[in-house]
Amino acid sequence: MSETDNHNDDRALAGEYVLGLMSEEDRATFEHRLKVEHDLRALTREWSENLARLTEDVDPVTPPPRVLKGIETRLFDDEPTSLSRMFRNWFGSGIVVAGLAAYVIFGTDLLERGPQMPTEPALVAEIAAEDRSLVVQAAFDAEAGQLFVQAEQGGARDGRALELWLIEGGNAPVSLGVLSEDGLTVVALSDEQRRVLPGAVLAISDEPTGGSTTGAPTGDVLGVGEITNV
Amino acid sequence: MSDVKDIEDLIARVALQDRAAFSDLYSRTSAKLFGVVLRVSNNRAEAEDVLQDAFVKVWRNAGKYQANGFSPMTWLITIARNTAIDAKRRKGRSPNDGDAILDQMADPTPGPEAQTIAASDRAQLGACLDELEQARAEAVTRAYLHGDSYAELADHFDVPLNTMRTWLRRSLLKLKDCLTR
Repeated sequence: MSETDNHNDDRALAGEYVLGLMSEEDRATFEHRLKVEHDLRALTREWSENLARLTEDVDPVTPPPRVLKGIETRLFDDEPTSLSRMFRNWFGSGIVVAGLAAYVIFGTDLLERGPQMPTEPALVAEIAAEDRSLVVQAAFDAEAGQLFVQAEQGGARDGRALELWLIEGGNAPVSLGVLSEDGLTVVALSDEQRRVLPGAVLAISDEPTGGSTTGAPTGDVLGVGEITNV
Repeated sequence: MSDVKDIEDLIARVALQDRAAFSDLYSRTSAKLFGVVLRVSNNRAEAEDVLQDAFVKVWRNAGKYQANGFSPMTWLITIARNTAIDAKRRKGRSPNDGDAILDQMADPTPGPEAQTIAASDRAQLGACLDELEQARAEAVTRAYLHGDSYAELADHFDVPLNTMRTWLRRSLLKLKDCLTR
C-alpha cells in the first residue's frame, strides 16, 4: 500500500470510529493506535467536530425533572441535608485552594502522546490491598516534580472515587487528589511534599465522587504502600 | 444556543466539582442532548437513563475537557451520543466502552488542520453531503443521528453488508475531501 492509501484508509477509519461502525475488535485496535498516533487523534477530532454539526438539525426536547433528580441522587446522595451541603461547599472551596499546591492532571492532557510512567523514577511505591484486589503503582519523577499514579488492579466502585493520600510520620494524611478513573493520574507536588516523600507512606481511600469533603479520609482505607528508592 | 465560552467556563467549573455550575450546565444543554439521545435510543425510558449516564460522565470527566479550540457542545454531544449507542448495543459489551473517546478528545495539541475544522459549520457539512448521492449521504446521517450499525444500514438500504461498508467508506473519503477543501 502506498502512503496515500494508508492516509486515505485512516481518514475513513477515523470516520467509521466516530460513527460507531467498527467491530469491537477493530475498535480496540483503533483505540490502541489513538493512544500513540497524534495524526489519527487529529483526524478523529475533526470527524467528531464535523459530524456533530448534524445535530444542529435536532430539536431540543426538555427532559422530565426526574432525570436531573436521578443524576443528583447518583452523584451527590451522600448528603442528606442542605446544611451539610453548605458545609461541603465551604470545605469544597478550601480544597480548590489547596489544589493549587497539588493539582491533578487527568487522562492524556499532559503531553502530546499522553503522560507515561517515568522510565527512571527517583522513588516508587506500590499501594496495594492485603488481598491485592487493588494494586496501584506510583512513581516519582524528581526532575519534573511529579508523581505518576496508575492502577494495575482494581478501581473505584460504581459511584465512588479513589483518593490518594500522603502520610508523613505521625502527621495527618494530606490529600493528593482523586485518581483518574482510567489511565494515569499525574500529581504535581509542592516543594514541601517532595521533601517528605522518601520514607513517607501513600494510601488510597474509598471516597464519594470528587473526593473527601472533610480534608481527611472518610471511607475505608483500601491500600497503603511505603515510598522507597528504586 | 448558549454561548460557547459560557459552556466552556461551566465545564471548567464542573471540573472543580462546582455543583452550581453543573446545574447551570444541565439547564443549558440537557434539552439539546436529550434531543440527540432520543434519536438514537429505542424508547423514552431508555433515553432518560442514557441522559442520566451521560451527565454523570460529564461530572466525572470534566477534568479531561480542555478549551482547545473545539466546541464544548461537540464534547457534550459526543458523550451523550456514545452513551446512547452503547446502551442500544449493550449486549456483549461492557458499558464503558464508549469512554475511550473522552481521552482522545482531551488532546491539547490540535494541529493547524484541526483548528480550521472548528470553524466548519453546518452549511459546509450540508454542502459536502449534497455532493454525495442522496442515499449515501443519508447513510452517513443515519449512522450519526440514529446510531445505526452497518447491519442496520444494509438492512435499511437493502444492500449486502459488504456493499454498505464500501459505500460508506467511499462516502466518508469524499466527504473528508470536500470538508478539507
